[in-house]
Amino acid sequence: MLDVRRISTSRWWHKKKSWFFLGIFVFLVFVRISKGSFYKDFYYFISKPFWPGQFQKEVILKSIDQESLIKLNLLKKDNRRLREILSLQESSSKDKISAAVISRKTGGWWRQIILNKGSKDGVEIGNIVLGPGGLLGRVNDTSLFTSSVTLITSPESKLGVWVDRIQINGLLVGLGDDFPSLILYSQDADIKVGDFVSSSPASTLLPPNIPIGIVHSIDKTLKSRKTAKILLLAKPQVIDWVQILKVNI
Amino acid sequence: MNKLFTKKSSIICFIFIPIIFLWHPNWIGFLGVQPYWPLFWLLPWSMINGSINGLIFGLFLGLILDSLTLDNNFTQIPGLILCGILFGRIKLHSHILVGHFRHGLICSFGSFLCGTLYFLQILFKNFSDGSFLLFIPSLKNILAEVFLTGLFAPFICSQLLMIFKFSKRKLQ
Repeated sequence: MLDVRRISTSRWWHKKKSWFFLGIFVFLVFVRISKGSFYKDFYYFISKPFWPGQFQKEVILKSIDQESLIKLNLLKKDNRRLREILSLQESSSKDKISAAVISRKTGGWWRQIILNKGSKDGVEIGNIVLGPGGLLGRVNDTSLFTSSVTLITSPESKLGVWVDRIQINGLLVGLGDDFPSLILYSQDADIKVGDFVSSSPASTLLPPNIPIGIVHSIDKTLKSRKTAKILLLAKPQVIDWVQILKVNI
Repeated sequence: MNKLFTKKSSIICFIFIPIIFLWHPNWIGFLGVQPYWPLFWLLPWSMINGSINGLIFGLFLGLILDSLTLDNNFTQIPGLILCGILFGRIKLHSHILVGHFRHGLICSFGSFLCGTLYFLQILFKNFSDGSFLLFIPSLKNILAEVFLTGLFAPFICSQLLMIFKFSKRKLQ
């Protein structure tokens, strides 16, 4: 009885050790068949912190950021100085009021938003309203606690704008849909899809160099003028917080 | 207090029209367009109180809503007055189911009327410069408004009609 048991325990599959080695063997076969992809992936995660490219990239990006920031500041200063020399309108204004959108009509006939800051907070009729992205519209009416803004998409809105690439002034007219129309009063203006439109330096309603939109499509030339649809950078239908810019014109 | 509510329910509802007009809940809208809210109130009011009252309150509604929107050149008053007069000539119907659908149809017709009158004003003012550009978005506005107004009118108008009738019976 004892002998029988002894024999049975001496079989190789009863030894833990042999199973262990078998496991390692199967694993190595798997590694061989998969051509070491498991190892390589493992190595990828282990060695990630020591990659030269990554670290270098961060340093370079940081210095590029710093460089452009410094450049921007220098250019701003330069711009202000030149504007002073030419006695043009001042573009930088410190008076900004943050306001929340409390009512929004961005579809249908009426295109306006109502903000939660009014004449009590110093908002005046004609102030410029900016959202993330650029120009939204102008304050058209103020009450004690609220102010109503006519959006650039409203049919009431007509603004002078500047197309920077071809150095030409145009008129931005709201049509009552999401894409206001840019009208250029010259037949041979070389306007292209993707051109950037900002507020005009010659405008009496807006301070210069406020981003407005990008040319979305160009319509047919009509009676010595070109029209194009503009895709706005600031989306009035989703913006919740805006800035009211007080400018003295 | 309760008595006051039942008596003045129509006036209380009237006060809420500009608020809902300003609130402009986006989740109800379609293509960014809202149903034409004032008609939901104007229809039951005119049906119960007749053409003259419809005309007067159409004018009041138009004045209030014009003051809320910034477009100084265009007005909603003619459309609302016309709707008030037309709605006043409609007789109350006893059949409930027919009534529901009828409200939807009448309201969509009313919103079509108001939308068209508003559009004609815009067209008339911008007749000189490129009016064809305005045509497509305006048409879209009118159609979406007609659709939405017709969709919501059976729910809202019937309720309001019941409330107003009830309050009027209490008064007599």
